[in-house]
Formats: sequence, C-alpha cells, structure tokens
Amino acid sequence: MSEIETRFLAPPAATGIRLDLTGAVTRRAGAIVPLLAVIVAWEAASRSGIVTPFLLPPISAVLGRVWEDAISGELALNLGQTLFRSLAGFAIAGAGGVALGILMARRRWVRWFFDPIVSVGFPMPKIAFLPIFMLWLGLYDVSKISMAVFNAIFPVITATIAAAEGVDRPLLWSARSLGASERQLLREIILPAALPQILTGLQVALPISMIVMIVTEMMMGGQGLGGAMIAASRFADSPGVFAGIVEIAVAGLCLVKGIALLRGRLLAWHQETQEPTTV
Amino acid sequence: MPDAAHIVIDRVSHEYRPARRRPVLALDDVSLAVGEREFLALLGPSGCGKSTLLYLVGGFLPVEQGAIRVEGRAVDGPGPDRGIVFQHFALFPWKTVMQNVLYGLEKKGLPREERLRVAREFIELVGLAGFEDSYPAQLSGGMKQRAAIARTLAIDPSILLMDEPFGALDAQTRSLMQAELLRIWQRSRKTVIFVTHDVQEAVFLAERIAVMSARPGHIKEIVEARFDRANPELLRSRQFVEMVDHVWNLVRGEAILAERSGAA
Repeated sequence: MSEIETRFLAPPAATGIRLDLTGAVTRRAGAIVPLLAVIVAWEAASRSGIVTPFLLPPISAVLGRVWEDAISGELALNLGQTLFRSLAGFAIAGAGGVALGILMARRRWVRWFFDPIVSVGFPMPKIAFLPIFMLWLGLYDVSKISMAVFNAIFPVITATIAAAEGVDRPLLWSARSLGASERQLLREIILPAALPQILTGLQVALPISMIVMIVTEMMMGGQGLGGAMIAASRFADSPGVFAGIVEIAVAGLCLVKGIALLRGRLLAWHQETQEPTTV
Repeated sequence: MPDAAHIVIDRVSHEYRPARRRPVLALDDVSLAVGEREFLALLGPSGCGKSTLLYLVGGFLPVEQGAIRVEGRAVDGPGPDRGIVFQHFALFPWKTVMQNVLYGLEKKGLPREERLRVAREFIELVGLAGFEDSYPAQLSGGMKQRAAIARTLAIDPSILLMDEPFGALDAQTRSLMQAELLRIWQRSRKTVIFVTHDVQEAVFLAERIAVMSARPGHIKEIVEARFDRANPELLRSRQFVEMVDHVWNLVRGEAILAERSGAA
C-alpha cells in the first residue's frame, strides 16, 4: 500500500497516533540540531585560528581526549567517584528531606523547631560553608558527600512540606474512617499522595547534588571529574579541562533523563501519565 | 419517628476559627435523632453547615459544644462503624479500584482470601466488575463514585455518611446513581445521612428530610417523605411533586438569605 493510500485509509484515531509519533521524532531531531550547531561553531572557531587551540581546543581533539581517558580507565575512575558521591549525597538528601518534610507538615513541634532553620538555610549560599566542612570533616568522601547533602536537601524539604500540606482532607478522612491510624496515614496515604510534588523536588535536588560535587571536588582536589579538571588546569592541559566539561555534561544529562524516566514509572497511576500531553 | 435512635445529635454548636479572621458560627444548637436503618437527608443552602454536621458525626471534626452519640457512645474520632462517601470521591489515586476497596478490609484484619472475596463482591454490587485493575484517573466520574461507594460498603459500616455524593456528576449519571443507591440501601439497610442541596434528590431518596437554615445552621423543619419507592411512576406522582414543592418552599427563603449574606 502506498504512502498516500495509507494516509487516506487510516481511521482518524490512527492518524492521530501517527501524527504524534512524527511529532516526537521531529522534537528529538529538533533538540539535536542546536547542539550540533554549537559543536560545529566550536570546531570552526578553533580551527579558523580566531582563538588559539590553548584557549579553545577543537572539539575533535577534546573528544579524542575523552576517548583516551576512557581507554586508560581514568574516565571510569573519576566518573565513578563523582557519580558515587553525588548519588550518595542525593540519596541521603532525598530520604532525609522527605522524612523531615513530611514530619514538618504533620507534626507541630517538628515544624516549630525546623521551620526557622530551613527558612534561614534555604536562600543561603551553602557553598560558602566549604571551608568549614573541610575543617570539620576533612578532604575525603565524608566531607564531599556532606556538602552535597547540605545543598540538595533544601529543595526536597520545601517540596515535601508543600506536597504533604496540600493532601486533600477527604483523602485523609477516608483513610481514617477505613481504619487507618494517624501513624499509618503518614506512610500509606500522605507519602504516595504527595509523591508527584516530592519527585519534582528530587528532580531539582539531583542536578544540585552533582553541581555541588564538581565544585567541591575542584576545591578539595583528589579523584573525581572536578578534581581531574583542576589537575588538568594546573598543568595547562586545556584539552583535559574541556574533556572534563564534556564528561560532566553527558553524565548530568543522563542523570536528569534517568530520574525523569523513574518519575514516569512511579507515577504510572497519575493523571499526567494517563493523559497524552501536548508538551 | 424512628424506632430506635442510632445517632443522637444533642444541642451541637460548632464554630470555625480561621487564622487571623473572625470566628464563624457554622452550627447553632442542632438537635437531631436518626433511627436505626433510616435514610435521612440533610438539606440546606450552601454554607449552612450541613457538611460540618456530617463531619462531626464522622468524628473528623471535634465536637466542642453539645454531644453526638452513636449507639449510645460519644463520638471520639473517625471509625469504621461510620463509612463516608465524599463529593469528589476521595479515592486513593495511586491504587487501582481493587486496591482501593481492599484498603479498609486490610485494616480490618481479614484473611487474604476473604478480603479478595469481599472486595470482588462489592465491586460487582456497584457494577464495576471488569474495572478492578483500573486506576481512578482512568474512570469516569460516575464510575469513580461507584468505586468509592464499594470501598466504603465493603468494610460493612452500620452508618453511611454521604457528603453530596452525586454533586459532581452530570444530571443523567446523577439520576442513575440515585436509583442505584436506593437499590443498594434496600439490600444492605444501613443508617444513612445524606447531605445535599438538591430538593428533588432529597425527596426521592430520604425517608425524612431535615431542612437546615442559612448560616448559622440549625434544623428548621423535619419533613417525612415516605413513598413507595418501587413505584416507577413515583417521580411523576402528584404526592411526590407536591412534596418537592413543599420542601422547596421551606428551602427557598433560606437560600435567598444565604445568597444575600454572601455565604461562601
């Protein structure tokens, strides 16, 4: 059957699906074009001699460097360190932030105690605490992960409080009249009901954790992508520095996409997953 | 009058105290007795406190003035003896129809086989067989309310509290659900308090209608509405139409008052 025939014979519903698919493909392709443009411009700029290769090494050289790092095992080591520490920090911030947020929303005395602390802490540039963390906890995993937790926990707490407070009274009352105790409400009703907004908070916290980890590694040195970049820059190894940037960008993108995928899985029941969105 | 009082509401007043605003007297000295297996409608204009009264009976709000007794015991918090159905269904959206209905049965501590059997029985009773594995977001409004009713009935409460349960449904679905509710009630014979602002709905469903005044709400009059509900011509019968007219006249003045006072 020819293309035109298919188009005419297809029932309207199928046409809709076809259009959606084409739309999705176009969107994917559309996202790649601007990135390609940047890459081409980068390569052209450094090859044309407008800038020296030291200031801006050609991306082909940078990618070659990434490949070398991958072969030598350097990349796996540094990436592994950074990912492990970012994800550890993220996990602790997530678990702690959700627990604290739910308790703050539902237990008056917890709210009374932590509300002022969170209010002061949230807008603070927490990266400024870096010297103190180094002083107290040293230069290794404990202090780096603590730094990530400290930065990433605030958006989780505030998102969780808002979500837990927003749970509909009839939902809670239904559960109570079906025999749930006040304690059971927290885990069985409030947590799942608040999950969509909590996940939004976690989606903010994950890149924060990664960003803070890179900066912390840069300041404290040692293994990890941030540490490797600083080491490269000390040796005036400009492809090494740019290779770090590319590695961070790709790793960050994978993490963000991964958590978005997880969201879709966890919220299979939710309206947002049920209805086809136009976005 | 009801044969034996199942629920006694004794001189109950209730005040809402919103933060940084003046307290609002929602209920003013309300007394009412509901008989065993009786179907009572609480009818009144919006803001008259009829839902508040229902929530007090449910134990969701604390009784601060007066007393509410269920089977002779003062109400102290929610309990599975008083099931509730809300206007906006209040289903757990992350649970399927089956899991929603199972929730209360798990809390009751029934063995697994028994839970599944009871849940299936009530899903069937409300006409949702085949939708056990659907999530609420996949159901229409009427189906959601059926699921909510199944969930509440499954734990076999002796009292059914209904808070404008059909208020969010379109007119056709609503009249279907009303007939369905009557059918279910006649089979299970629970004590029902049904909150509504729809006069025809109250007259069609309830044996007695407590008409409430505009805020602060009190019981203005109690109307007996005992018909032969098996009669398919009931809605067109003279007796029924006159009763609707009579009750409407009682509510009308209160609705105008509520409108003027800007009750919201």
